[in-house]
Amino acid sequence: MPQNLSSERLGAPVNVTWEITDHCNLGCRHCLSADLRRESGGELDRERCETLIDELAALQVFQINFGGGEPFLRPDFMDILRYAQTKGIVTCVSTNGTMLTPELVDELVGMELLFLQVSLDGAQAATNDAIRGEGTFERILEGVSLLSRRSFPDLSLNMVVTSVNFEEIGEFHRLADSFGARTRLSRFRPSGDGSRMWEQYRLSRDQLAWLSGFLGENPGILTGDSFFSLTNADRQTQGLRTCGAARMTCAVGPDGSVFPCAFLCDPAFLAGNVVEESLGAIFENALIMRTLRDLEVEPCQTCDRFSLCNGGCPAVAYFVTDSLGLPDPECLRVAIPGPGIPGPGIPAPGTPVAEHLSAPERAEVA
Amino acid sequence: MKTYHLAPWARARQERFGLLFYDTRSTTMTFVRSGDRLVAPPFDDRAVPLRVVTRSPAEELRVIRVLDGLEAKGLVVAAEPE
Repeated sequence: MPQNLSSERLGAPVNVTWEITDHCNLGCRHCLSADLRRESGGELDRERCETLIDELAALQVFQINFGGGEPFLRPDFMDILRYAQTKGIVTCVSTNGTMLTPELVDELVGMELLFLQVSLDGAQAATNDAIRGEGTFERILEGVSLLSRRSFPDLSLNMVVTSVNFEEIGEFHRLADSFGARTRLSRFRPSGDGSRMWEQYRLSRDQLAWLSGFLGENPGILTGDSFFSLTNADRQTQGLRTCGAARMTCAVGPDGSVFPCAFLCDPAFLAGNVVEESLGAIFENALIMRTLRDLEVEPCQTCDRFSLCNGGCPAVAYFVTDSLGLPDPECLRVAIPGPGIPGPGIPAPGTPVAEHLSAPERAEVA
Repeated sequence: MKTYHLAPWARARQERFGLLFYDTRSTTMTFVRSGDRLVAPPFDDRAVPLRVVTRSPAEELRVIRVLDGLEAKGLVVAAEPE
């Protein structure tokens, strides 16, 4: 029996990230989709989108994470969103918030099975605007205010944690709370334009170590499991302890191209296209999907934290080291070195990881 | 024996290890290593109860314990037999 059920091979993705448009009205400096959008061969039309949603429903995919570009720039996006919801699929929309109007918010408030994640990259205007563009802080918060005033129930504010906004994490948490929104912290990865900003935006070892402790002390903060490589003892029963790429998730580009995850939308990881082949077949059979599912990060296997992170994020390892088989360069053992010398909140070697059938594990997938 | 239905906000699908539950309120997953002893309702007909397939009273007790745990998590709803 496997030690960790979340490492089990699944019959289909649990959630699919769908970059549904290549259009965006902002030019964020760390945009993970920048390359994908530049290289995209157009967008799937609405009919093709509905066909894909039908297929996802048949595969029993629980959740679609819509992103882009900016999804609300797409004129037929609300129709596509509604169509997915009629199939019983939970929809999560990642938006920059600048397209929200009172009329649109009224429509969104009436929707079931909808989570909204608004991106904001700092608690101060100057910090956010340096990343997302001049004047965006104010425009984003206008959209957030509309949602808050209409009591939109499932709202989160998402900050990609970088060296630029790191000092504002606490203030960001309070800001989100003031709007009745949950705080979501996402990991900065060297994907898309993030690769160009990597050296400037990446966190230091001390910052990684502090963040690990902070997340452990604040279990209510959402992370989309993106910080599993930093998971400490306080958070180890919450969420995944392994990379979900090609196992639980995959990503679809605006033109239907399929990749193992939203952070591996690089030509080297192209698995297929839903216009030519079913997503289920691509997920199951594509060589790159199988490669990632079978990936073993050899150097990590003697680490005392291996059962907690399984080598970390392959996307970061690949884009930083040019290899899939090397450890995540931002793992907690890098931040707090010394196998056998546990840092704060890190279980000692040999500490069993709780895993029971009758106490099923939980993982956040939004 | 009680019957167990999916809660209105819950989804479940069959996997090789057993059932994979998903809570639409929190977007969290719950993995249940039940093998073929628990059968999920069809994805598009959640009114159908979960089917329990056991080969012995001891196995049935174990499955019921799992179902009670899932009920405590709000993923299934139990109904007493009529």
